[in-house]
Amino acid sequence: MLHHIQNKIYHVEILPPKQESEKLEKDLELFAQKYTRVMESGYCACITDNAMGNLSFQGTEMIQELELPVIPEQVMIHLNTFHTKENLDEILNDCVNLGIKYLLIISGDGSERLPKLKPSDIGVTGSESVTSVELLQYIRREYAGKFVLGVAFNPYEPPEHEFEKMERKIAAGATFIVTQPLIEKNAVVDRLLEKYPDIPVIVEAWMSKKLYLLSEAVGYTIPEDQDYDPIATLKMLHQTYPQCGVYLALLGFKRQYDLIKDIWV
Amino acid sequence: MKIVVCIKQVPATNDAKIDPETKRIIREGLKAIMNPFDTYALEEGVRLREKLGGEVIALTMGPPKAEAVLREALAAGADRGILLSDRAFGGSDTWATSYALAKAIEKIGDVDLVICGKQAIDGDTAQVGPGISAHLNWMQAASVMAVEQVDESCITVKRMHEEGHDICKMQLPAVLTVVKDINTPRIPSLKGRLAAQKAQIPVWKPEDIGADPDKLGLNGSPTRVVKTQPPDPRQTDTIRIEGTAQECARALVRELRLRSLV
Repeated sequence: MLHHIQNKIYHVEILPPKQESEKLEKDLELFAQKYTRVMESGYCACITDNAMGNLSFQGTEMIQELELPVIPEQVMIHLNTFHTKENLDEILNDCVNLGIKYLLIISGDGSERLPKLKPSDIGVTGSESVTSVELLQYIRREYAGKFVLGVAFNPYEPPEHEFEKMERKIAAGATFIVTQPLIEKNAVVDRLLEKYPDIPVIVEAWMSKKLYLLSEAVGYTIPEDQDYDPIATLKMLHQTYPQCGVYLALLGFKRQYDLIKDIWV
Repeated sequence: MKIVVCIKQVPATNDAKIDPETKRIIREGLKAIMNPFDTYALEEGVRLREKLGGEVIALTMGPPKAEAVLREALAAGADRGILLSDRAFGGSDTWATSYALAKAIEKIGDVDLVICGKQAIDGDTAQVGPGISAHLNWMQAASVMAVEQVDESCITVKRMHEEGHDICKMQLPAVLTVVKDINTPRIPSLKGRLAAQKAQIPVWKPEDIGADPDKLGLNGSPTRVVKTQPPDPRQTDTIRIEGTAQECARALVRELRLRSLV
């Protein structure tokens, strides 16, 4: 992952179509266009896993069905704990077969329709639920050497709790970290960088103009009419955190994509 | 094993409005989904087929747009779907509906097992599954939470009730209605979804299933809905708990206990 940062490779989030899509063909086409564009730009496509608990198709099945090329350095799959064991192994095996090596392991957002992994499914004892830590342990144990595993860091949670969790995530096999979206310099992220100087950290840039959508993540209400310039924020993040990679959440492919190529130079 | 899973398209909202004239739900403008209980019925059918071989046929009755719910069933593993759709079916109560479905099951032929969701979330009657069994004169078990064993002639199921559960062994063919505890429905794959979009779905009319027109629609419905109204909106309130983490946790547990939620 360090190589991504050294080579200024953006991590570009792509959301697969939702299961309930009424215009699936069009959504698939759009996904393929975005994915191809990210590949051609030399960036890393980061495909979400039922983000916000919305039932969506899996990145691996999108790649297979649409016959998209996999350049191992340029694809990252999110994987959360809301799967059946069978489905989890299917995704992991598909990743191995497709040559996908980067996984971002997160606890994830559930929904009524999404099954949740049970501790017994993945051989966990002494824990009542499966979090990203247990999932990391499982993947490292059962798929040893197959993946480069990353985890999320939330600077808006109580820091002591978050740092304690990060210790466990790293002990479980995480080798890179992706933060929640940052809209300004963040003291907790500064502390993270100090604490783990050898672990690549990727800061998330919120590329939607709808900043209020971040209210829940940051834990305070952002007014709907608040002015927000995602490109200016992206530039600020590069300046503030030159040692970090950048993950672009909700990047606009029509209006923003061409603007980013000259920012990280 | 030939398995028929009866499914229903229902409005995906708690904000349903009732037509004051017909006393029925106004479905126009509401997003339609597969009745959630039916997703468990479908999953159980697909699992039994995966274990025992055979075929799963999804069956629904409704307007032409109900075809969408059959495509959803195909995406989730059903082998084929059949839509009963005709004006003559309109206005059927649970008895007339179960009659039409039973006639379709007879027409499909050689069916070993019919599986329905416990109830539909729009009508909440839980009568159609048992109604089908009455029309076909087959054994039935309602509120099934597990299929324990199946062979060529018998099925053993665990049936849930207020005081626990029963183990019931029944001769096939039989009708089951299932509860959520029975399984975790799979999420349809993209491949399945794309194949389902292209599938041909036959539409059967009363004459195709040999149904007596007098037993369908309003004429065939012994029940009359004299008044329907949406339930009162749920009362919600917000309690702000303050204090240290420990105090908050203690207060939260106390509040949950007071509400019998833990």
